[in-house]
Amino acid sequence: MITVKNLHKSFGKIEVLRGIDYHVKKGEKIVIIGPSGSGKSTFLRCMNLLEEPTSGEIWFDGKLITDPKANINKVREHMGMVFQNFNLFNNLTIIDNITLAPTKLKLMEKEEARQNAENLLKRVNLLEKANAYPSQLSGGQRQRIAIVRSLAMNPKVMLFDEPTSALDPEMVGEVLDVMKELADDGMTMVVVTHEMGFAREVGSKVLFVDEGTIMEENTPKEFFENPSNPRLKEFLSKVL
Amino acid sequence: MNEWFADIAFKFQLAFVEGDRWKLYLKGLGVTLQISLFAAILGVVIGTIVALMKLSVKKGGKRTFISVLAQAYIDIIRGTPSVLQLLIMWFIIMEGCKNGILVAVLTFGINSGAYVAEIMRAGILAVDHGQMEAGRSLGLSKSQTMRYIILPQAIKNVLPPIGNEFIVLLKETAIVGYVSLSDLTRTASQVSSRTFEAFMPLIGAAVIYFIIIKILSKLIELLERRLRKGDHR
Repeated sequence: MITVKNLHKSFGKIEVLRGIDYHVKKGEKIVIIGPSGSGKSTFLRCMNLLEEPTSGEIWFDGKLITDPKANINKVREHMGMVFQNFNLFNNLTIIDNITLAPTKLKLMEKEEARQNAENLLKRVNLLEKANAYPSQLSGGQRQRIAIVRSLAMNPKVMLFDEPTSALDPEMVGEVLDVMKELADDGMTMVVVTHEMGFAREVGSKVLFVDEGTIMEENTPKEFFENPSNPRLKEFLSKVL
Repeated sequence: MNEWFADIAFKFQLAFVEGDRWKLYLKGLGVTLQISLFAAILGVVIGTIVALMKLSVKKGGKRTFISVLAQAYIDIIRGTPSVLQLLIMWFIIMEGCKNGILVAVLTFGINSGAYVAEIMRAGILAVDHGQMEAGRSLGLSKSQTMRYIILPQAIKNVLPPIGNEFIVLLKETAIVGYVSLSDLTRTASQVSSRTFEAFMPLIGAAVIYFIIIKILSKLIELLERRLRKGDHR
């Protein structure tokens, strides 16, 4: 589904990603963990080119998307992204947040998009908030809406960039539940998170990223029970 | 006391009533409002375009040619007196144009555009960068996100300073007398030189400006309240 080849990314003189190779298969749930500043978010943001790689290749669905001629807007229609800070459109109501992209990109008629949005809102139990504005919702509600907004595009992959890091502890659960449901539905997911419980329960693979490289990759069971990399051992001893 | 009232009444009569002079003020006010309105519209259009031009960057983060162009326009307009711009427009650039109001509208529109551009730029930059990222991540293009997400929020941000700019613009049109247009200010000064009585015409004109601007600021306030209905802060 997504293939990353020898990905490098520098911000000025600082080299954040130092050669990452990875392949995400259809239906996999990849969980990326690592200390802050390790490059894990940058890695994720490179996948839909929100960060432009300095060098390396990214293939999505058989197409080379790092090709300068690739239509990146078209590619992003099929890759949902959920942000740490939700980033709901503050000037639009919830329903308009969800229907804006499908209608403006002419993927759906207004009525169809509305119906689709209402169905999605029902799934996360937020239909009664359809005409509210983002500022009227709690953090957990906003993040569920943000997930729904991405789903409205019928993406093939969902990227999550620390989706629960900006939430109050009691709201983390409701967002993780939606993500788990999504995982059970077979969605391909790449999740950067600090939620070790989620990684263990939902992940099909867990990656440890540090110093701009993938230091360890394993199934959740092996990853948490038999970590081999010394830096990962140290990291896990701090967070678990 | 009676004498004082009689004097005031006489001056009022002289300044406004005699020879139907009130009609002159009304006409002058019409000129002032006409110039201000169209210049304000032109200024907002130019300002928004110039702000977007100035914000454009190349892939490496370098400024584009149109960004440099926008900066040059802002520098030139802000670096010269508006009276001079009006005279240059009237006597040089549009020499021979008989329509003074058109010249004034263009001058003030171009002038105001430079200030509006900086206001709009600040308003756009004040919108959280995550809004653009969210729009782009959904497959919307940069300009679509700008149009549906960023600009609506930016306009809400900039209403107070834009209102300020409109007020400044309206008052600045008082210099059109330099190119012999009879706006409100020039009318007042013409009447006073006809009647040899300055108090009533000048104070009268000042009161009219005051009332118009009070109404304008009230309208802006109403608009601001309407646009803010989305946030509950």
